Amino acid sequence: MSAAKRVVIADDDADIRALMVIAANRAGVEIASAVDNGRAALDAVTEGGIDLVVLDISMPGLNGVEVADAIRGDAAIKDTLILMVSASVQLLTDHGVVADRSDSFIIKPFSPRVLSERIRSMLGLGEPA
Amino acid sequence: MTVDRWLSRIPLESPSVLVKLVPTLVGFAIALGLSLIPGVVSAHITAFIVGAVAVMIGALLLAVLVPWPRIDVHWSVAVPLIAMLSIGLMRIGTGGSTSSIGVILLLPFVWIATEEGRRNIIIAALGIFLVLIGPIVVAGTPSSPADVIRAFFSPVIYAIVAAVVNEIAHRSRAQLKATRAAAAQREELLEQAVRTQDELVLNEARLKTANRLIQSIWNAVTEQSVIGTDLDGVIDVWNPGAEKMLGLTEKQVLGANRKVIEFHLVSELEQRLRDMDARFTTVSGMDDFSALVDTVRAGYADVRDWTYVRADGKQVPVQVAATPRLDENGHRVGFIFVATDMTQAREFARLKDEFVGLISHELRTPLSSILGYLELMRDDDEAPLSQEQLQYLGVAERNAHRLLRLVGDLLFTAQVESGRFPIDITDAELRSVVGASVESATPVAATAGVELVCDVPDETVEVRGDTVRLGQAVDNLVSNALKFTPSGGRVTVSLRREGDEAVVAVTDTGIGIPAVELSQLSQRFFRASTATRNAVPGVGLGLTITKAIVTAHGGRLDIASEEGVGTSISLRLPTETPRPVAEAVPAEARP
Repeated sequence: MSAAKRVVIADDDADIRALMVIAANRAGVEIASAVDNGRAALDAVTEGGIDLVVLDISMPGLNGVEVADAIRGDAAIKDTLILMVSASVQLLTDHGVVADRSDSFIIKPFSPRVLSERIRSMLGLGEPA
Repeated sequence: MTVDRWLSRIPLESPSVLVKLVPTLVGFAIALGLSLIPGVVSAHITAFIVGAVAVMIGALLLAVLVPWPRIDVHWSVAVPLIAMLSIGLMRIGTGGSTSSIGVILLLPFVWIATEEGRRNIIIAALGIFLVLIGPIVVAGTPSSPADVIRAFFSPVIYAIVAAVVNEIAHRSRAQLKATRAAAAQREELLEQAVRTQDELVLNEARLKTANRLIQSIWNAVTEQSVIGTDLDGVIDVWNPGAEKMLGLTEKQVLGANRKVIEFHLVSELEQRLRDMDARFTTVSGMDDFSALVDTVRAGYADVRDWTYVRADGKQVPVQVAATPRLDENGHRVGFIFVATDMTQAREFARLKDEFVGLISHELRTPLSSILGYLELMRDDDEAPLSQEQLQYLGVAERNAHRLLRLVGDLLFTAQVESGRFPIDITDAELRSVVGASVESATPVAATAGVELVCDVPDETVEVRGDTVRLGQAVDNLVSNALKFTPSGGRVTVSLRREGDEAVVAVTDTGIGIPAVELSQLSQRFFRASTATRNAVPGVGLGLTITKAIVTAHGGRLDIASEEGVGTSISLRLPTETPRPVAEAVPAEARP
């Protein structure tokens, strides 16, 4: 049996972060880290062994876009899957900012069930047991 | 001097009959005085002399009393004729043919001879004849044969003299008339010249005033640059606004063969040329200047966003209105470019976008938690909720979604205002769009007790459009119709093709809208008075959004309503490929 997929979750809103953690747990992945800022998210991914990072765009310090740029610019972690989340439609639609940097994105408010399915889909996991 | 002044008062140019008689009166008075001196005249027959005086007084009275200006002027010769008669009597009374006072006959004779008309020659000669023949008639026999000869021969000579005098007088009058006409003409010309000069002075003053006004306006336009060029784009007009906007004075630009394209970003001009080329609207041999004036050359005014490059290299976003510059015959002799600095407007738009993004984010974030955790509660298999709890949860979810829709509508409205909202043009089949809207609204209609009828044709009705946005538009119309139709009413959603238009009509038997409010329906946040009166929920954004969607598809919204009867709103879309109005963004990125 292969090791569980490791996921980093980053959102500055504690309630939503907790909701993401629940959705990720239901997807059957291992939560490597759940952080409230971009710097901590980048550090967690940089440590290695991360398959997917769920990245809120609007965060203090490094925002989601900057974290994504840093990940894509680091050869060691550039293949980490990135799922961007934002409540701002404009941020997600302007100038291909998100499309160019992420593997998928989801708009708040999101359904925990949909987020869970999206994580499993991106990681190539089948239906939960 | 005194005599000259007195004489100057006599109206000699057109003397009255009395004035003309004065010399004869004077001559007659002298003759009368001489006749009283013994030895001066050869005879003195008092009766004739008194008769002569009486006749002369008659002539004087005639001259004074008759209103000659109102009578034909030719009759005035009666006065000198009577005077001649008086002198004839005086001549008879003072010696007849030997009397020396006959010489004063010349005075009335000349008067008659100088009057206008050839007949006066005969009258004058006839008068002389009568005077000369008078003594012979009175005496009954001539004193000598010479008297008879003189009586008949002298009038002939006098007639010749009268003819000469008459002609001279006639010519003098003609010359005087011509002189007067010339003088009058000169006077008229002079008056005309004076009038013209006055008008010139007035026009010059007006021109100066107009010039001052134009100059004031010209100098006042400091926030917009006005640049005029010839047909090749060489600048020959440069206002203070252009100085301020582009950092060069009028002196530095005019006469220096500067072209307007020098102040444009080359990349923008090239892009515009590429766009024009793509539209196949250009002619061969185009230069960069054509990018600015191609539309104007085609006969249209052109308003377009450009970037000006200042003398110091800084860039200024501007909106430029380009128009033709015409001469007095309406021929195009150049172009006028009026540019407005859009720096502040762009900054305002950017801040507005930021604000909308912020509001959207800040409202959606708490809704994410609310809806997410409500879903977790509903889906919690380990602690299933009771039916009553599920009902309460449903109310909370419904209202959270309502709030979410409101946020979405607000955001959408803001995007419409900024001129860009998500739209993805593809082939859209309207039967399925209408069917989906009716299907999703059916439960609501059933709950409200309203009959919902779907009337679509058998054949497909396709337009080029965004299926999701069109569905949103139809949803809005159906939702409104259901909200405004009381229980027992009916809402009909129909689809048909009319010429080159596809028409989706939503007709209800609801409370209707007052006619005076129809034109305001698509304004943001406007709510019909019937809606507020009947406490129908809503914020007044649905129709605003629907209209924006329809407009973005090149269509239009027709609204007809009667209060208490119902409302029919038709969404008309061109079946030809519409011209995209809104900027397209990825469809998958919609809220």
